[in-house]
Amino acid sequence: MTRDRSRRTGAPDPMRRRMLGAAAVGALVSPALARAADTVTLPFVNGERRLAAYPEKRPLIVLTSRPPQLETPFGVFDDGMITPNDAFFVRYHNAGIPTTIDADGYVIRIGGASVDKPYELKLADLKTKFKSVEIVAVNQCSGNSRGMFNPRVTGGQLYNGAMGNARWVGVPLKDILAQAAPKADAKQVTFNGLDTAIFGGGDFVKALDISHAMDGEVMVAYQMNGADIPFLNGYPVKLVVPGYYGTYWVKHLSDIHVIPNEFDGFWMKPAYRVPDNACACVAPGTAPTATRPIGRFTVRSFVTSLQNGASVPAGVPLTVRGIAFDSGIGVNEVAWSADGGATWREAKLGEDLGRYSFRPFTFGFVPAAGDLDIRVRAWNRAGESQALDALWQPGGYMRNVVESVKVRAA
Amino acid sequence: MKTSTLRITAAAAAALLAVSFAALAYAKTITLPPDGAQLKPSDLPGYALARKDCVVCHSAEYMLYQPPTAPRAYWEAMVKRMRDVFKAPVPEGDIAPIVDYLVKTYGNEQAK
Repeated sequence: MTRDRSRRTGAPDPMRRRMLGAAAVGALVSPALARAADTVTLPFVNGERRLAAYPEKRPLIVLTSRPPQLETPFGVFDDGMITPNDAFFVRYHNAGIPTTIDADGYVIRIGGASVDKPYELKLADLKTKFKSVEIVAVNQCSGNSRGMFNPRVTGGQLYNGAMGNARWVGVPLKDILAQAAPKADAKQVTFNGLDTAIFGGGDFVKALDISHAMDGEVMVAYQMNGADIPFLNGYPVKLVVPGYYGTYWVKHLSDIHVIPNEFDGFWMKPAYRVPDNACACVAPGTAPTATRPIGRFTVRSFVTSLQNGASVPAGVPLTVRGIAFDSGIGVNEVAWSADGGATWREAKLGEDLGRYSFRPFTFGFVPAAGDLDIRVRAWNRAGESQALDALWQPGGYMRNVVESVKVRAA
Repeated sequence: MKTSTLRITAAAAAALLAVSFAALAYAKTITLPPDGAQLKPSDLPGYALARKDCVVCHSAEYMLYQPPTAPRAYWEAMVKRMRDVFKAPVPEGDIAPIVDYLVKTYGNEQAK
């Protein structure tokens, strides 16, 4: 990560980003082209990780090799508000992942007990026979930042890079479902993809309530940042559920079922559940009495232009950049502190790419010589914000504490 | 008559379009790199069993990167989840030695 930061001192350069993207397409699919092994140490016990280049990806932090789970090095988030396709995080659940997909023969089956007209939707028809929509939206893994939990919890030990912001093009799910004529008894919609569990148990299937599925925002996307969706992010079609954790963003989407009951497959219950209370939290080390499926993002904000342990010149104006996002209510205020939260001032918000997008912010000050504890805290239009002290839950989901970056001015 | 001619023309155009799409057709294929981590060798009997039963489905980072505070109950729950939920063919007799290897190699019973 230090390596990534060192070449990012000036303003982001959109042209350079575009060229990196083009180079990645040229380097497609050959693990032999992977650069020499590089490593990074994430800021928690047992945080040493390899970086490796997977198909269509630049070297990313490897959480697991098989199935691939790849984390974006945090420095990428200082390059711009759109996370490049080749840097976007990857999270599979089962190792039976597809490795060859013929887009021309690709169909999505829409059916289930609660539709009158089940049908097969060809990819070409999805692209040409429906009105397409575009949205910039953050996708974030439920367990993003799990490695930072204290006390530690088991599961994928991620730092803050299992998130990304992309421009998605696709078709509203409601238009696709409407053609299947959902019945009045429809209660939920389930989503399955081409990935399979090797021994048949625990196939990755997710469900949304019918009202959510029909809200017009949930989308079957076929384009990401102006290109095909990368293979490992769900080529050729992926469910996009704006404002909701990535667990619902089913990859290689192949089957949509409208059902008259609540779906209770493993990945809805008991997996991906959070404490069923207002904070989705419990006292550290305890178990919740009741749980619900994980849902919307909490509010988060990060400094991107400085990393922990950095040195900055004292007495010289310092501009700090960062990003904030929430579940789509819309971030409308970010405050910053350079004294560990003792005093706060308002940061300047940057370009608004939509309420589901990363929102950039900047602030500046002249640091006096000494240690600085820089913190940022965002609010959305509903007045929701971030926890000053980290909330805890056994699943290690939904972390949204006010982040602290400690730097020295000298 | 006019309508039917139009329809034929439209069908012919569609067929032509289909052919040109077919000409462009390609299946996208990826090749995944090999595992980047292997199970830590051990004299414990569970090591050989874990190599047989666990890494069939997933790579060793799933164990390697857990917090070293992870207790025996966690490892036992995971091994049983692999058998009961994911239908991994883990023989009953393998479970106790695998759990013992995992907690002593990656969990909170590691030798200090």
